[in-house]
Amino acid sequence: MRGFGAFLGKELRETVHTWRIWVLPAFILFSALSSPLITFLMPTLVDRLGGMPQGFAISVPDPTALAAYVEYLGNLGELVMFALVIAYGGIVSSEVRSGTAALALSKPLSRGAFVLAKWLSQLLVVAVAAAVATAVCIGLTTVLLGVGPAQATVAAVALWFVYAMVILSAMVLLSAVLPAPAAAAGAGIGVYASFAILAQFEATSRLTPAGLMPAAQAVLNGEPAHWQAPVATGIAVSAACLGAAVWRFTRREI
Amino acid sequence: MPLIAASVSLGSPLVVALLAVLAVVELGLLAWALLDLARRPAGKVAGGSRLLWLLLCVFVQLLGPVLYLVVGRMREAPRQVPPPQAPGGDGHVARAAAALYDAAGRHPRAPADGAPADLIATTEGSGPAVELIGVRKVFRTAAALDGLSLSVPEGSVFGFLGPNGAGKTTTLRILAGLARPTSGEARVLGHDVAGAGGDVRAVVGFLPDVPAFYKWMTAPQYLRFAGNLFGLRGEALEARVAALLDLAGLAGVDTRIGGFSRGMKQRLGVAQALVNAPRLLLLDEPTSALDPIGRREVLDMIAALRGRTTVFFSTHILADVERVCDTVAIIDNGRVVAHAPIDELRRRRGGLSRLAVEVDEPQRLAPALEGAAWLRAIEVVDDGGLRLATVDLVAALRVLPALIARLGLALRRLESDELSLEDVFVDLVEGERR
Repeated sequence: MRGFGAFLGKELRETVHTWRIWVLPAFILFSALSSPLITFLMPTLVDRLGGMPQGFAISVPDPTALAAYVEYLGNLGELVMFALVIAYGGIVSSEVRSGTAALALSKPLSRGAFVLAKWLSQLLVVAVAAAVATAVCIGLTTVLLGVGPAQATVAAVALWFVYAMVILSAMVLLSAVLPAPAAAAGAGIGVYASFAILAQFEATSRLTPAGLMPAAQAVLNGEPAHWQAPVATGIAVSAACLGAAVWRFTRREI
Repeated sequence: MPLIAASVSLGSPLVVALLAVLAVVELGLLAWALLDLARRPAGKVAGGSRLLWLLLCVFVQLLGPVLYLVVGRMREAPRQVPPPQAPGGDGHVARAAAALYDAAGRHPRAPADGAPADLIATTEGSGPAVELIGVRKVFRTAAALDGLSLSVPEGSVFGFLGPNGAGKTTTLRILAGLARPTSGEARVLGHDVAGAGGDVRAVVGFLPDVPAFYKWMTAPQYLRFAGNLFGLRGEALEARVAALLDLAGLAGVDTRIGGFSRGMKQRLGVAQALVNAPRLLLLDEPTSALDPIGRREVLDMIAALRGRTTVFFSTHILADVERVCDTVAIIDNGRVVAHAPIDELRRRRGGLSRLAVEVDEPQRLAPALEGAAWLRAIEVVDDGGLRLATVDLVAALRVLPALIARLGLALRRLESDELSLEDVFVDLVEGERR
C-alpha cells in the first residue's frame, strides 16, 4: 500500500477542485431539499390544479414528516444511485486513458493503493454529502411538517450508505476491468437492476445486499427489518469487489 | 421561499403555466450558475469561496443563481505565463540539475522511504544500471520486442535510437514497471523490474513521450504530489520543489497545468522525473516538444547529469544523441541492430573516413585521383566540390594538397567530413530490413 496517503490526499483535493464535487453531493442535497418541499406542496398543487371532470377528484393524504423521509430515501435509492453509477464509470480507467496514471504509477505508488485510495476518497465524499443532506432534510422537514422519525431516518440512511458502498465497490471493479467508462457505467446499471430484481424475492432480500434498501424502508416505517445479513454480505461483497479490482489492476498494463 | 408564495396564488391554468415557466427559468439559471462555478477556479470567484456561492445558489432559489451570475464571477484576466527564466546559453539548467543531485547528497530518497539499502546506495561500477535479457513483448500477434538484449553501464548517458515503431517506448514502459515482458528479463540496478516493484521505482525517474498531468494542479502542486509519492516531506520537499521549478523555468508560474503549452508540460515532465534525484533517469523522447532553446537546455541538463546518474533516453533526433550520449543502441523491429560507444560505432561501419574537397575545377581533379590506394569512392556534389571516401585519412591529407598544387588548381576547402551517426543509423536500419 505504498503511496496510499499521498494519493488519497490527491484524490480528495481533486474532488474539491474538479466537477466531481458537484455531481453526487448536488444530487444528494437536491433530494434532501426537494423531498420535504414536494411533500409539503403536493396537496396544494393537486388541489389547485383543477380542471378535473365533474364527479372526479384526486385524493392526496395530508403531508407528514414520515412521507417526506420516505420520499428522500426513495430518491437516494434511485436518483442518487443512478448518478453514482454514471459518475464512477471511469473511476479507475479514466486516469489510465488520460495518461496521468502512467506518471503516478511509475513512482513507488502501488496499484492497490491507487485503486483503494480512489474508492475510499469517493466513499468519504458520499458519506459527508449524505450526512449533511440528511441533516438538512431533517431540519427542513421539521420546519415544514413538524417532528418526524428522525432517528429512524438516520438509521435508514446508514443502511442506504452500505448499499451505496456496495455499488461504489462494484463500479471500482468494473472500471478496473473495462477500459471504457461508458461500458462500465452500462454494466453498473446492470448490477443495480439485478439488485432491484433480487430485492423482490424473500430469500435474496433477506440474505444479500439487495435487501439493504427494503431493510432501510422497513426501518423508516417502523416495521421489523432484517438488516444484519444484508449489511454483512454487503460488506463482504464490497471487499470481494475491491480485492478483485486490485488483482485485475495489478495485472493490467498502463 | 418564492415557490411557496407562488403556490398560494395558484388558481387558474394560466397561473400554473406561469409557474411552470418560472420553474424552468429557475432551474436553468441554477444549472448555468452551478456549471460556471464548477469550471471557475476559486481565485476567480468573488470572495474566493466557491462553496459559499454553491450554498447560496442552492438554498436561495432564483436570487442565489442571479446574484452569482451578476456579481459572483470575476472577469478572466488574460493569462500571464512568464517565459522560461533561463533562456539558454548560460548553463543555468545544467547547473541547477547538478546542484539538485549535490543537494540530495546523491541519495535518491529521503530516509523515511524504506527502499532497500542496495538501491539507495550508489554503486557505480558494480554492475549495469539497465540490463535487458532476451526481452520479448507480444501484443496480440505482433511482436513489439523480439529478443531485445542490451546492457547500460551505471553513470552513463545512453541513447536509445530507432525509427518509429521500433519498440523504444515499449522498452521504456517495461523498465518503468508499466508493462511486463512476454518473456525474457528486464533488470534495473540489479533487480528484476517486475519482481521488485516499488523498490525499483523508488530510484527511477520516468518521463513518458507525452506526459499527462492533473490539469487542475499547478506545477508546484504536482511536484509536491510527486515528491510525496517518494516519501519526501517538509522542508526537504519544499527545497526540492523550488530547485526543480527553477530548473524547469516554471518558478513563479501559478497557472494551472491545464493552461500550459506543450513545451511547459515537457519541462515540468523533466522536473517531476528528477524529484527523487533518481539513480536511473528514463526519458522517452524528452526533446520532441521543445523549441530550440528548450531543447538545448534539456540536453545541457542531461550532459550535466553524467556521472551523477544514469540517463537512458530514447529519441529519433540523431543530433541530440551525438551531442550528449556516450553509448548508443540502435533498434529496429524490436531487436538491437547496433550497441556500442558512438565513436566505435562510426569506426565499425566500414572504417571509412570522408573528405570534402572544394577546388575551382573539380572536373580536372577527379580523374587525377583515380587509382589512388587510399581512395575508395569519389562523389561530385552539386556545389562543385568532391566528396571522397578514404581508408587512410592521413595519407589522403598528405597527398591531396600537393596534387592540387601540381594541377594548378585553387584549393578552397579541404575538410575531414566524418561519418555521422545518421549515416550509421540509416545504413544499419536499411541493412537490417534488406
